[in-house]
Amino acid sequence: MMNINKYPEIKSGSKLIKKIYVAVMLWIVGRAIQAASRVDREVKEEFGRLSDDFMMHLHVLPSGPGMIVGKDKNGKVRYMGWNPKGKKITLDMKVKNIEGAILMFTFQESTCVASANNRLAVSGNVPDTMAFIRILNIVETYLLPKIITSLAVKRYPKWSQMSPLRKYAGRVLVYVRTFTF
Amino acid sequence: MQIPGYYEFCNKVKTVSGHNALDKLPEMLASVNSVKPLIITDKGVNGAGLIEPVKKALGTKVKSGGVYDDVPADSDVKTIKDIAAKYRAAKCDSIIAVGGGSVLDTAKGVNILVSENSDNLMNFVGFGALKRRLKPLIAVPTTSGTGSEMTLVAVIADHERDVKMLFPSLFLLPDFAVLDSRMTKTLPAALTAFTAMDAMTHACEAYTCLSKNPLSDSTAVMAIKLISDNIMQGVKKPGDMEARLALANASALAGMSFSNSMVGMIHAIGHSIGAICHVPHGVCMSVLLPYGLEYNLHKTGLLTGELLFPLKGEEAYNSAKAEERPLLTIRAIREMNSELRKATGGKHPTCLKEIVDRDGNMMVPREVLSDIAHLSLNDGAMVYNPEDLDYNDALMVLEKAWEGEPLDRKKIRKGKQTSLVKVKD
Ligand SMILES: NC(=O)c1ccc[n+]([C@@H]2O[C@H](COP(=O)([O-])OP(=O)(O)OC[C@H]3O[C@@H](n4cnc5c(N)ncnc54)[C@H](O)[C@@H]3O)[C@@H](O)[C@H]2O)c1
Ligand SMILES: [Fe+2]
Repeated sequence: MMNINKYPEIKSGSKLIKKIYVAVMLWIVGRAIQAASRVDREVKEEFGRLSDDFMMHLHVLPSGPGMIVGKDKNGKVRYMGWNPKGKKITLDMKVKNIEGAILMFTFQESTCVASANNRLAVSGNVPDTMAFIRILNIVETYLLPKIITSLAVKRYPKWSQMSPLRKYAGRVLVYVRTFTF
Repeated sequence: MQIPGYYEFCNKVKTVSGHNALDKLPEMLASVNSVKPLIITDKGVNGAGLIEPVKKALGTKVKSGGVYDDVPADSDVKTIKDIAAKYRAAKCDSIIAVGGGSVLDTAKGVNILVSENSDNLMNFVGFGALKRRLKPLIAVPTTSGTGSEMTLVAVIADHERDVKMLFPSLFLLPDFAVLDSRMTKTLPAALTAFTAMDAMTHACEAYTCLSKNPLSDSTAVMAIKLISDNIMQGVKKPGDMEARLALANASALAGMSFSNSMVGMIHAIGHSIGAICHVPHGVCMSVLLPYGLEYNLHKTGLLTGELLFPLKGEEAYNSAKAEERPLLTIRAIREMNSELRKATGGKHPTCLKEIVDRDGNMMVPREVLSDIAHLSLNDGAMVYNPEDLDYNDALMVLEKAWEGEPLDRKKIRKGKQTSLVKVKD
């Protein structure tokens, strides 16, 4: 609040840029999940264990951006855009504010460990949440520049073979607060 | 210490502690305008004669709406439905829960159904499902372990589907917690030992896991101190009322702590052993506690080292170097387990293969470790653990805990080392 009075334009301007950045990242992540569900064995298995009506909405409060990934009629995993209207969401993941989303999608682990609390509010059952977090973790390894190229080879590096970069960045877990009060 | 950029802490349970704390029951009920409480308990607690002092405290002024004592271990969705029907039929207006975690969590479940006027607990699974205040709930713990009297979560099993479900909501915090030393006096030695180690685990995980904060830290440290000062006395001299009251307070403090900071891999793996092998929760905690601390050392060595102070006292803490403290803390906990094993005539296990049922059969056969490892990855508590675990990591921990050997710390796949003290592998 204080900042708004002090730096009105800068604040709202930077907020818009942040929103655009996060929207782009969400789009990339959504597409990447769809791609990984076809080529990555572990991601495929994780989705296989999720129910047929699985539909996940990851979005930023209060007004977006967001993205939806779920299974279609044929059980294929698809990125389904940003609009939840008419879709039955089974796992609703809300990033509580745009700053939280920025930390999440610029992979700044160390900042976040210090403030692990209350970044993300989830409604849905716990096993689904945990499975989706693991999927996000794997997909993130693809999103790091070096590794993006390895997408085609159907293998992503295991934790032990992973570059230090992956160890910094791979932990979406940290941003999640499963329990909301 | 580092203060988190943001955190929340909430505990609004009125706590009444003392050797005759139960005597305040009529006043508590009056303060929430209740005239007809339903008493929920289980056969073990009732058989130990613990409902008598409750009835006596209620006296002639309050008419109880009946006593329900058929709660199974780990509670159960079906039982909860039955009790809710009884509550409605007797037109009760509050609940007094007298028992261990199984009873307290059952009572929380019943409270959801009767307050929301529903028959289906499943409608309230998940986060934020409860939206308003429930009926008054008075929690009278008879074990000193789960701390459920101070927590916002109910762990309820669905025995038909073999799963344990979590119901987290601020509305599940009881209105009152009554810590009365008479209520734990009858607790057998082995139960005293492993339930206290459950509380110890709550405190240790609260202090070392990701959502720690200054308020959860201070309650955790005090809980650890009270437990280490009183656990042997409580086990060896069941009638020591001071020790009993201290342990009851410790368990409440630890509950307060972890309810606001959550727990980590020890609980995640422990819940899964409980779900698959039906081992009592506290037993799993006793065995796994040193392993969880060991696994996370490269992240939380400093914090683990700090726990040497409440565990062993000022002198032991000061005479050890900072890099030695973390391993000394873990050693102290292993020694505590061994001492408890002696003091309970071998009933308290120090490793998974030592866990046996009443007839002496092994409860955790080696073949099920793989299933346990898989299940534990889906437990919400994993989120708060400082280091990641995948299937192989969880299996490695389980195999070592089964044999009773310390972890080979060289084999732990470590992320970024964030502990300020480095502990040699
Ligand atoms: N809600 C929470 O915050 C929370 C936290 C941890 C565990 N839990 C749950 O709590 C349950 C375990 O609770 P627990 O460890 O207290 O055990 P429990 O409630 O299952 O009781 C164990 C046995 O001890 C007997 N008993 C209890 N008090 C006694 C007494 N004073 N004298 C003689 N016998 C007595 C009982 O009859 C029962 O047979 C698990 O289901 C676990 O999932 C809940
Ligand atoms: Fe516990």
